[in-house]
Amino acid sequence: MSVLAQTQQDALNLFEKIGLPTQRDEDWKYTDASRLKDLLESKVSGASVDIHNLGITELDAYRMVFINGVFTANESNLPQGISIESLATFETSNDNNEKELAKLFQVSSSDPLMNGFAAYNAATAKDGAAVCLKDNSKLDKPLYILHVSNQSHVIRHGLMLGKHAEAEVIEHFISLGEDKALSNATTAIILKDGARLEHSRIQQEGKSQSHVARVEVKQLANSSYTFHGVELGGILSRTDLVVDLHEQGASCSLNGLFVLGGRQHVDHHTRIDHTAPHCTSREHYRTVLDGRSHGVFNGKVMVHEGAIKTDSNMSNGNILLSKNAEIDTKPELEIYNDDVKCAHGATIGQLDDKQLFYLRSRGISAEAAQELLTFAFADEVLVAMSNQTVRSYVEKAAFAKLPHSDDLEGLLSE
Amino acid sequence: MIEIKDLHVSVEGKKILKGLNLTINAGEVHAIMGPNGAGKSTLSNVIAGRDGYEITGGSITYKGDDLLEMSPEERAWAGVFLAFQYPVEIPGVNNTYLLKAGVNAKRKHQGLEELDAFDFMKTVKEKAALVELDPSFLSRSVNEGFSGGEKKRNEIFQMAVLEPSLALLDETDSGLDIDALRIVAGGVNKLRSPDRAIVMITHYQRLLDYIEPDFVHVLADGVIQKTGDKSLALELEEHGYDWVKENK
Repeated sequence: MSVLAQTQQDALNLFEKIGLPTQRDEDWKYTDASRLKDLLESKVSGASVDIHNLGITELDAYRMVFINGVFTANESNLPQGISIESLATFETSNDNNEKELAKLFQVSSSDPLMNGFAAYNAATAKDGAAVCLKDNSKLDKPLYILHVSNQSHVIRHGLMLGKHAEAEVIEHFISLGEDKALSNATTAIILKDGARLEHSRIQQEGKSQSHVARVEVKQLANSSYTFHGVELGGILSRTDLVVDLHEQGASCSLNGLFVLGGRQHVDHHTRIDHTAPHCTSREHYRTVLDGRSHGVFNGKVMVHEGAIKTDSNMSNGNILLSKNAEIDTKPELEIYNDDVKCAHGATIGQLDDKQLFYLRSRGISAEAAQELLTFAFADEVLVAMSNQTVRSYVEKAAFAKLPHSDDLEGLLSE
Repeated sequence: MIEIKDLHVSVEGKKILKGLNLTINAGEVHAIMGPNGAGKSTLSNVIAGRDGYEITGGSITYKGDDLLEMSPEERAWAGVFLAFQYPVEIPGVNNTYLLKAGVNAKRKHQGLEELDAFDFMKTVKEKAALVELDPSFLSRSVNEGFSGGEKKRNEIFQMAVLEPSLALLDETDSGLDIDALRIVAGGVNKLRSPDRAIVMITHYQRLLDYIEPDFVHVLADGVIQKTGDKSLALELEEHGYDWVKENK
């Protein structure tokens, strides 16, 4: 049995042992996963999907396209001489870095936020991106991973950045059709000494589709990880984001934005482990909730024994546009150490009356003023995105979800 | 342009304006002075349409229409402008965008085409120069991180771009040092025109040295106690507000 096959068998054993989470699990208290049970299994069919004009077409990037979880080479565009390939073929390679990549497929019941979906993902994933950047290499263009689906599928990406390697990776999830389906996606990341990764995930599944994701990041000395999680689509979406600041001087910045309406339910659980001294973490999540939508944010920072000079700051801001929308927010901090600087906080509110009046007094209608302030609130998270093409795409998509968007058409061209 | 008749206004059940009368014509510059708590800011907020003020009596007619029936944005479209005493910071809303949206909303309301982006920027830069506002402020969020003086300058800059018929300047001089006051006042003077009325609300005579009013009103205890020309401001400065009440 190959190393990977053995790893997947172990994951299957774990899945069978722990099963899917229920609302009795503290970490799943607000998210009812039972309705996803029947959607778990990948459906493989030959149905062709037209992906023409889908995704961020104007982005100058390397592309990997996965249709229903299967790599589609003729829609993709990969760089020469850099190891970016489909997981389905990665086993045959011998390169040292790629052996380490196999470790990214290991799961253990002791991993933070481990659950049945993540174990099932590791056990059954057949494809995904396998990205290995050698020491000191820099990906000259972003890697854009576009997922298009109309059925349930499982996908698992592994990203390994060697020492001082740099990359930007954008994952984008779009689904077509009206069938209920589940995307089960994991991205496992290792950043070696001094490596830098900017990683965006844009969730734009269809109205009937659900999304369960896990992003796990292990950071070695002085590495830097920036995450932008954008939740716009889907009926139920859950992401577990697990970052281990494993060696001295590592830093992470986690940004999240939910713009929800209707009966959408989005839940992000994040966990940052300050394992080593002199590490920095920043977390900034904002949600805009309309209709009967429900947002859940749980951010936990663990400062372990010995992690002196930890610098951690977490904030979560929420705006409820409707009286039926709901947010459950819980920033958590556990510190087993002196000599740290940690702050966290959450706000829940409506728009500011003084700001609304100011805008109206300048001739902006009440509806447009409300929308402008809502958009500005959401956009404060997107400011951290360094890729302006991606940011602009997300702004337009988020903006389109807000009420009265016609009044402020000129806003995004500024 | 605007006729205020027997205006009574309460805030949270407390009577602030108690039968105020005031008529302002196009081309005139009025100064309303008065002690703290006299109702000066209440008057400007009521004219601009802010919530939280209960109109218990009287009327305000603006260009022949009932102003009190209009929403704040309708008043802005009709040419009412309030330069705020405390301009609010609005993170994430670009200063220029705010003005463009405001100007175009007004134009749309008047049945005019939206302004071309190039022409708009040209106008904006000219008007910024009027109050010596650094062009870098144009691309910043509205008032965010501006100093007190910069905020006041930004208000007059907005007034210049929006070209109101009736401009209310609520304590525009407060928090300004003498150089900033001269610049802001210079901007206001350049905006004086035969079809525009300007109302300055202030505690101090100082502002009137720079912007010469046609009329000075003393507002105390919720009514206009006395009206005169600019010499009234000097007398006030000398004798204080109690003198007005005693010499009605």
